[in-house]
Amino acid sequence: MKSITTNNRCGQIRAWLHKAISRRFGPDADWFQNHISNCPRCQRRIVSVGRVNLALSALKSQPHKLDLLMRANTQAIGVLKHSLREAPKAEELRTTLPEPKMLERWGKYRCSAANLAACVAILFLMKIGIFSSMSEFQTQGQKVIRQYYASRVGGDLADEIFPERPGETNVR
Amino acid sequence: MFNKAVSFELLWDFAVTETIDESQRWILSTMQRHGQELVTMLWRILGNEQDVCDAYQNTFLQLAHYKGGQRPEYIRAYIFRVANNVAISMLRRRISEQKRVSAAVVPRKDVSSPANELDSKYLQETLRCCIARLPEHLRNVITLRELAELSYGQIARILGISAATARVYRYKAVQLLAVWMSKEKVERQ
Repeated sequence: MKSITTNNRCGQIRAWLHKAISRRFGPDADWFQNHISNCPRCQRRIVSVGRVNLALSALKSQPHKLDLLMRANTQAIGVLKHSLREAPKAEELRTTLPEPKMLERWGKYRCSAANLAACVAILFLMKIGIFSSMSEFQTQGQKVIRQYYASRVGGDLADEIFPERPGETNVR
Repeated sequence: MFNKAVSFELLWDFAVTETIDESQRWILSTMQRHGQELVTMLWRILGNEQDVCDAYQNTFLQLAHYKGGQRPEYIRAYIFRVANNVAISMLRRRISEQKRVSAAVVPRKDVSSPANELDSKYLQETLRCCIARLPEHLRNVITLRELAELSYGQIARILGISAATARVYRYKAVQLLAVWMSKEKVERQ
């Protein structure tokens, strides 16, 4: 319990530090913005890096024809050995079309999956909590009855009736 | 006796061929598993469909002949590096060819125009030229990270460096590209 509280505090401190540092030294800081607006050298640098990023984005967003993979596979398989060319998998590859990645395909279900996972986690924690409470309740009850027996009929008999489990301390 | 020997020889040849074929089926599996990523990367590097097909074919041909048909230990790393190198050599050849032709036909000053600045094709071509000029270690990282969209961990495994080094190389590559692209712009103006 104590460690959880400490972790929470650590997290809060980290978040607070990050916020404070980014406010002071991040790209949105006032002094930084003022400097950029007055420094032609920095402006040139930012513009040139921005141009590279723009060009990279343009390269990435350029689509190719849908059958490019199919044609590339066909051409590549054409130079392999005869037996590989005749394999059923080769035939399959000659007609393959690009498919969206698994993440892209299942991306739309991300929120639902996260909600479901949260519900499962809550149920799991509740179940663990209930069972651990029950077991604690049972242990405490046994201790009380043992103490009662020990005070009424003696410790030896109580030990016989309620043998000590490893890890349990005898409270007398 | 002779016939028997010939038939045994044929049988042996057949058996050997079958074994090799079985052992090279992994080429097709590799094509199936990584083909799409490779084509995407090659398309972004080259920007020409026929060149992409040629580079792809060349990559798998090299894979099939790797150490006499052996399977590389880490196939993904091998094919990405080979594809990258093949594509960059093709790009360099194309650039030098274009330069030669444009120098002969059009005066350099006429090529530039204010509209070019906003033209994405011009930007892409300039970037490709600059990427082809980068030193190998920076170029590998920038193509694998930006054009193949691999994670730093995957890049680190492919190139045999740490993820932190890959990050540093990417940063350096972007800085260098920024400087070169600005110079290119100034030269054209």
